[in-house]
Amino acid sequence: MRDRLRHLHQVQSDSEGLSSVEHDHLSVHEAATASSPPDPYLYGVLQEAQQIRLEIQQIQNEISELKDANYQALNKISHPAETERDSNAIGVAIKHRGEAVLQRLHMMSALRAELEARRGSSDPTERIAQTQYQCLSNALREVMISYNDTEMSHREACKQQIQRQMEVVGREVGEEDLEEMMESGELNVFSTQVEGKTARSAFLQTESRQKEVLELEKRIEGIQELFLDVAVLTEEQGGAVENIQKSVQNTEVIIQDAVVQLDRATTFDKSNPFKKLFCCCSFDHCKIL
Amino acid sequence: VAPFEILNGVIKSVKKDGEWKVLIVDHMSMRILSSCCKMSDILAEGVTIVEDINKRREPISSLEAIYLISPVEKSVHALINDFKDAAFTYKAAHIFFTDTCPDGLFTEIGRARVAKVIKTLKEINVAFLPYEAQVFSLDDPNSLYSFYSSKPNKDKDKMIENLAEQIATLCDTLKEYPAIRYRKGPEDNARLADEVYQRLTAHKADNPSMGEGADKARSQLLIVDRGFDPISPILHELTFQAMAYDLLDIKQDIYTYQTTGIGNSNDREVLLDEDDELWVQLRHMHIADVTKKVTELLRTFCESKRMCTDNANLKDLSQMLKKMPQYQKELSMYSTHLHLAEACMKTFKGSLDKLCEVEQDLAMGANAEGEPLKDAMKSIVPVLLNNEIGAYEKIRIILLYIFHKKRGIGEENLAKLIQHANIQADSNIITNLQNLGCNIIAGGRNAEQTLPERRERTESTYQLSRWAPIIKDVMENAIEDKLDRKQWPFICDPAPINTTQTAVSSARFGHWHKNKSPTEYRSGPRLIIFVIGGVSQSEMRSAYEVTRATDGKWEVLIGSSHILTPTSFLNDLKSLDQVPNPDC
Repeated sequence: MRDRLRHLHQVQSDSEGLSSVEHDHLSVHEAATASSPPDPYLYGVLQEAQQIRLEIQQIQNEISELKDANYQALNKISHPAETERDSNAIGVAIKHRGEAVLQRLHMMSALRAELEARRGSSDPTERIAQTQYQCLSNALREVMISYNDTEMSHREACKQQIQRQMEVVGREVGEEDLEEMMESGELNVFSTQVEGKTARSAFLQTESRQKEVLELEKRIEGIQELFLDVAVLTEEQGGAVENIQKSVQNTEVIIQDAVVQLDRATTFDKSNPFKKLFCCCSFDHCKIL
Repeated sequence: VAPFEILNGVIKSVKKDGEWKVLIVDHMSMRILSSCCKMSDILAEGVTIVEDINKRREPISSLEAIYLISPVEKSVHALINDFKDAAFTYKAAHIFFTDTCPDGLFTEIGRARVAKVIKTLKEINVAFLPYEAQVFSLDDPNSLYSFYSSKPNKDKDKMIENLAEQIATLCDTLKEYPAIRYRKGPEDNARLADEVYQRLTAHKADNPSMGEGADKARSQLLIVDRGFDPISPILHELTFQAMAYDLLDIKQDIYTYQTTGIGNSNDREVLLDEDDELWVQLRHMHIADVTKKVTELLRTFCESKRMCTDNANLKDLSQMLKKMPQYQKELSMYSTHLHLAEACMKTFKGSLDKLCEVEQDLAMGANAEGEPLKDAMKSIVPVLLNNEIGAYEKIRIILLYIFHKKRGIGEENLAKLIQHANIQADSNIITNLQNLGCNIIAGGRNAEQTLPERRERTESTYQLSRWAPIIKDVMENAIEDKLDRKQWPFICDPAPINTTQTAVSSARFGHWHKNKSPTEYRSGPRLIIFVIGGVSQSEMRSAYEVTRATDGKWEVLIGSSHILTPTSFLNDLKSLDQVPNPDC
């Protein structure tokens, strides 16, 4: 890689001596501000996208927290501190946060559609909203997959522990039987044969793990609809969404001169999604820009 | 450092927290970027929109722009125009040229108003497409015309220089300084080889680490012309990737098919690239093995997720998807490849099975039992007279017949064949092959040309896949140091190979694409092949097969100006005696 910035400055200073039509008296700062005023909705879109991004990151954090909680439950680590949540509580939090993100994505999609309807599909803010929306939908899906994987790993770990405990009491259980047992939720399968300290301990462990698994499956069941909604979301967008070439080529050629006019913004009526999305905050921020 | 790292790094280097940027590309840089980065990669580095520099763009004056462009007049002028008027299109500019910017254009930039808002200006030396892990492209589909059109090309010198520069950036990125060889015969091979040598040396002056390492001294770059093996690009192949691209309509590597997902039935678009792990696993497999493999993998997957289904097939998949949407990614992948394989087989069973038999016999000069072909004309006439077979299929058969004859065929005979086949409108495809140096008319141009002697192959193959591309022989010979120096001369005498050197036990190579596992860049010799005029899918496959056979000691890379399908090759040939499209 070759850096040629210094060379450029050289050429610049060499040519400063020449009188050229290219040089005028407008300073750079003036030029920048002489440009058409920035689109206030652009700021709003990017802000919202960033917020959603942070929410998705928060879900990822909660998944890590869940991993720890699951691990602790599995290894019977002494009673967790007051501030630490158990798996079910975290599961509920993840579900609610996921649903909230999905809602915000739907709103972003509506906003994008509104922008497209009013300004056409080659409007930069509309396209930026599109790109962000697609990327965030993907990110949500990834984080949901990560949640599923975490729970499935835990399920597998519980299953293995049950198997080991059974071996301890001399009961070898095959894969199929194990699954059936876990699915049926029969907790007292061995109660009649439990004798002696080791066996008793093994039984308690098994009972614990089975309870774990049942709760886990309930969590997954509870979040099934969210999985489905996210899958529908990404399916709608098509498979080649990540392809940069496709993203660039999809943009329409601008046929007429398009100059962004600030007064366009004031013609939007009260019922439009912009205002719903940005409610009270954005206009103040926009004035700063 | 692999192209992905370079391109991603470039965008990352100007990333500022809380600030988004616009990325502006031209056609070439867009293709390069697209082949190694995804939208989410660049979004993660602060790019919120990608624009085509040649389209009229609305100003986004609150954001800075990254210009990733080729140092050519069209792109540079568009850049300058963005900052010509009182209102700037963007807040500032960070410029990354794919290659060295010529002085004239550089000065133009320096003298323009844009210079006042340029915050970065670098040349990144990546002027090629890393199409696959072992395949590169220079993205110039007009190359066959540029080299072999009937009308002399007055820009040929400039074109060869550009090509050489692109190949040099490839070696630069790979940190290779290979010994350059070319196939003796066509003048262009030697010219290109010579030009590459000069460019390569210039790059090494700037980047001395190229070619460093004991084993790197054995690396070679081979320049070969398309005419050297005209059979491989026209033969019907039965390995997944080659077959799919030949028989189905796959544009820009996107396969579209009808399916019922979670929602209603609709078109699904899938990108066939190396991010699809299943595609990477299946693409070189024979079609007979593909469906078997996918079904097996799908069954294993379903069992592991306790999805009860007795017969994992295409219809069940949409049911599974509804029941377990968290596995949408995997299930979609299986669905795609089952559909793709089925589509290939459907087209094949139509009429191709008989055709392939004839083709293989002609290409090999013998039937599946090894008995030499006695009456080739007898096998091809029924094909030519069959109205259900398309014109291009017939042309492929006629060409294979001609190559089978080894010394061309008489003009009268050719005329008769064309008449039987009723392909008068496309007959120039056949004669235009003479421009590539092929022996078509007995006693005519190229009368002395013959196809090279083949290596003996003992590996077992499917009956309809006996042919191995000629380049495979060349690859194996080069690696074994058996490639004849008279037929494949060196531009520069290479350093003598120390035969007492211990062979590299396990060389690992940097990968173009996102690294799934950390790359330990270790030394190991590479064989890089550049084909003038287009490379076929079967030849691409050969690079992987030969690499695997060396147990990882060597890595073979192959590439060209563009990647051929039989149809695109015939279309290219058709245009050779025509006036070029001024819009191209």
